Amino acid sequence: MTSSTLTTPRGPGRIVRLAVTALLVVWFALPFLPLVLWAFADGWSFPSPLPTAWGVQGIQDALGFGLLPGFARSVLLGLVVAAIATPLGALAARALTFGTVPFPRTFSALLLAPIALPPFAAVLGVNVLLLRAYIPPAIGVVVVLVVLALPYTTFVMRTAYGGYDLSYEEEARLLGAAPAQVLRRVHLPMIAPALARAAFLAFLVAWSDYIVTVIVGGGELVTLPLIVAGAAAGLGNDAAVAVMSLGAVIPPVLLLLAVLAVGGSGRATGKRRPSSALPNTISAAPSAHPTTSGASA
Amino acid sequence: MSSTPRRYRRSAALALAVPLIALTACAAPESSASTAYEDWDAVLEDAEGQTVQLWMYGGDDQGNAYVDDILAPAVAEYGVTLERVPVTDTADALNRVFTEIQAGRDDGTVDLIWVNGDNFRTGKEADAWLCGWTDLLPSMAATDPDDPLLQSDFGTPVDGCEAPWQKAQFTLAYNAEAIPNPPTTLAGVLDWAEANPGRFTYPAPPDFTGSVFVREVLASVSGGADEVPAAYSDEAFDELSPALYDRLSELAPSLWRGGDTYPANEAELGQLFADRQIDITMTYGPATLTDLVADGTYPPETTVLPLEDGTVGNASFLGLPANSDSVAGAMVVANVALSVEQQVAKAQPDVWGQFTVLDIESLSDADRELFDTLPESPVVPGYEVLSENAHGELAAEWVPALDEGWRTGVLDR
Repeated sequence: MTSSTLTTPRGPGRIVRLAVTALLVVWFALPFLPLVLWAFADGWSFPSPLPTAWGVQGIQDALGFGLLPGFARSVLLGLVVAAIATPLGALAARALTFGTVPFPRTFSALLLAPIALPPFAAVLGVNVLLLRAYIPPAIGVVVVLVVLALPYTTFVMRTAYGGYDLSYEEEARLLGAAPAQVLRRVHLPMIAPALARAAFLAFLVAWSDYIVTVIVGGGELVTLPLIVAGAAAGLGNDAAVAVMSLGAVIPPVLLLLAVLAVGGSGRATGKRRPSSALPNTISAAPSAHPTTSGASA
Repeated sequence: MSSTPRRYRRSAALALAVPLIALTACAAPESSASTAYEDWDAVLEDAEGQTVQLWMYGGDDQGNAYVDDILAPAVAEYGVTLERVPVTDTADALNRVFTEIQAGRDDGTVDLIWVNGDNFRTGKEADAWLCGWTDLLPSMAATDPDDPLLQSDFGTPVDGCEAPWQKAQFTLAYNAEAIPNPPTTLAGVLDWAEANPGRFTYPAPPDFTGSVFVREVLASVSGGADEVPAAYSDEAFDELSPALYDRLSELAPSLWRGGDTYPANEAELGQLFADRQIDITMTYGPATLTDLVADGTYPPETTVLPLEDGTVGNASFLGLPANSDSVAGAMVVANVALSVEQQVAKAQPDVWGQFTVLDIESLSDADRELFDTLPESPVVPGYEVLSENAHGELAAEWVPALDEGWRTGVLDR
């Protein structure tokens, strides 16, 4: 138990806190309510406030539009982009933070540039280069999306390294740890929560992309956004579009919950670190220390 | 909901496409590309084992199902794999082709595009289409060589640069429960709208459907489609358009929400009709009405409204990009798609209900029988009825001029 009873909210404070939390949950959940209703609406005519016929036609139609293969391709694309953009972002952030790069401000601005460019123009321009270089379309999509995700991962990791104390690594080296051991047992566990957040953002960039996948992918990668956008452009597909949109929301929500879980245990591990800094007593996986509920609240 | 590849998404796509075309025109090595094949057997031989990517508007689940479940297995018998790539806008497919050609790639990933109108013209001006290949297709023999809809596509000569696929007819439909005595002319429709404020509207141009409605009103106020010259000229525009915009401005206060806002596209218009907020809808793809009534999206009393002055008809096509890496396979797909079996299958109301491009009169008795025995849709009459007094599209240059005039003369009035 690292949290003090002094910081545990009691009485009126607790009620206000709960009320605010409940309001926030409603605020975020409310937009999904019409989606859920539409997903199971076989008929819904103006001005009826609720669907006039319920059913699973929307789910069947969504499967007909190719929901499942599109979903699988989107998950794969998101994971690959996250797996590449996260370590790259971490390396860039570490170099920028600890001053191994000259003109860090200029480099930061360059890294953020992809966010400022209008994606359509950037994609059409870069695609000519990719085609000239005979880069296979699927690889081209990954490369471009990694570039688009890098500003986010770098930014998150810079924040993490801003509060990172290099002396833990130095201490471990003094005690005889090899560089690989320092990386695995000190460095990675300490930045794990930030890595999870960065990977989540990189996943989202790839997960929600339409224009790069269409133009650079050249039709090889028919991902969920392509299918949803195609279906949404037609009439009478509202239930199917609602089902697919819900399908598109679920993985990010699950990932967000996973990120929050990693963040929680990571913070607790960080607090424990000073008393157990000897390499041979440091657990490789921070989650091996179960976090008692409320410990990190 | 469209039977025509559509969506002039003028904003980003075309604004960027134009400079690209300019670049392409300089870079394209295969200017005025035409096929290297002399006979059909050579095509069949090369097609074996090829994969063809057909890029098409993906919002029509009947169209998607037809391609995946009926057309793809049929071409598989020739050893050709057909993959469908859904896009929201046909211009996305063209942009991909322009980019590939600009990069000097002759092994393009786009093998067929469902196309017509402005997109076809844009591609033709950029030499992006393979031309002169449709005469090779055995199925072409069953089309009428003098059919004006197949000779020119919105005023752009086809020149064998795209293979016909299906016909469409601009159609109005109404809720017979709300309108017991429907008007019979387009002028009558506008009068009805003024007599029933708030129960009629049309999509705002440059939406494809709103744009064609404005052209129909132009024909109506000009005294008939024959009074509007198909070829664009500033003189004709200046002479004819004031009456059009006066009429539409006069109509505006009687529209849905007093004309303060317009639906953005056919899907939004259809949603208003489905919700009974308006009583008349319009579409280029009447084939989809059957399904929309059957699944309860549209009111059960939905009925097609035939107009005495006729409506615009057009054909849509399969275009073959000049840099496709599966030219032979794409030709086989276009040929199978044009065969009697496929045209009949696609015309089934519960499959896709699209009108054939074949000349039914010229078919053998057995083949004609197949078309004659097609079940009738309870909602949509046959093509002969729909296309009665039909007129052709104006030249593509009319479209942006009329749309811009509508924006300044009606919307910002």
